Amino acid sequence: MQEDRNAIEPEELELCRLMAGYLEGRLDAFERLYAALAPRLRSYLLAQCRDPSLADDLVQDTFFQLHRSRRTYQPGRAVTPWAFAIARHAFLMYLRRTRRRLRFEETLAAELSSRDAPQDDLKGLADRDEVRRALVHLPADQREALLMHHVGGWSFAEIAARLGIRVNAAKTRAFRGMRKLKGQFRA
Amino acid sequence: MTTPERLRSIVARDLKPTRPLRAPSVRALIIGPLAMATVIAVPVASFFRSDMAQLGVWRGWGLSFVEALAGVVVVGLALRESVPGRALTPRSLALCFAGGLALPFVILAMTTTSFSIGPAQFDWRDSVVCFRTSFAAAIPTMLLATLLVARALPLRPGVAGALYGLGCGLVADAGLRLYCEFSVPSHFLSAHAGAVVAALGVGAVAGVFTQRT
Repeated sequence: MQEDRNAIEPEELELCRLMAGYLEGRLDAFERLYAALAPRLRSYLLAQCRDPSLADDLVQDTFFQLHRSRRTYQPGRAVTPWAFAIARHAFLMYLRRTRRRLRFEETLAAELSSRDAPQDDLKGLADRDEVRRALVHLPADQREALLMHHVGGWSFAEIAARLGIRVNAAKTRAFRGMRKLKGQFRA
Repeated sequence: MTTPERLRSIVARDLKPTRPLRAPSVRALIIGPLAMATVIAVPVASFFRSDMAQLGVWRGWGLSFVEALAGVVVVGLALRESVPGRALTPRSLALCFAGGLALPFVILAMTTTSFSIGPAQFDWRDSVVCFRTSFAAAIPTMLLATLLVARALPLRPGVAGALYGLGCGLVADAGLRLYCEFSVPSHFLSAHAGAVVAALGVGAVAGVFTQRT
């Protein structure tokens, strides 16, 4: 541990001090930590996703994750690798959500095309309208969770926090909503 | 760069003094007593292998405790893997998995007089008994390891799970080898090594299913 401390650069030592303050429950330490880390994390995430507004969102996601997992930081160790690992995770989670959303859209498209292949754009519009009508028939709580997760790309933890429910409840609502939606198209 | 208001309010709302998790090596020690109890419980709850006296203390109990200790070390590595920024390198992972999976064979080779001890014809019922005993013995340590890993933030939950599954499989195998002396390859591969591999697989699945979303 002593060797680790010696290996840490002065800038990193300052981050360690801020992290210690943050773990003690000081908001000012968190804000200074954000000011020190956010630009570097944003550069990293921008290099990954090449979309400035998405990079900003991912920086926020990273700090939400970092806040939830702050106790996994080991005092005396460098903060930067820890924070960057969480940022990488946030980016990978974003990719996973995006893929899931695409799959959902493909599934819906497949459901629609398996019934009647659209003859023209008018039919396509009707199908979209059909999806909207099918969504209206879902219970409000399930529709909300389904849209937030599959269309909005929110994680279940984010949905749970937003709706004030448990993560499992968010998963169940989205799952049941999806099942009912598929059921309506199969009927 | 100032903190966005939404982030600031969420952090401010539940900001309280937080005790960091202890170092992975320290947390792995929690598994130690349970691992030792598992090694002792497997033969005590059923019976000891018939050649226990010929094996002697070192080749009997000693090597079992070495194997269980190796299992605890592997669980410790899983705990390290579950700390952001401390993930194991691919090389370390490969070494860990290869070493962990090879260990039961190495210990068998060190202790057996021949590789033909056991039924001449493969009997799946013998294998099921040993597999079941080993797998059941792995469950308590696996539950504890799952809990310890899930409390951290494994960024590769499948890898962390596979690691602690392997560790728990080794702990259980350390007990099983005091109970079953069969060294015939068909039995050893299907039951003893098979149970370790199964524990690894179950750990990987458990790691994925218990990850925080």
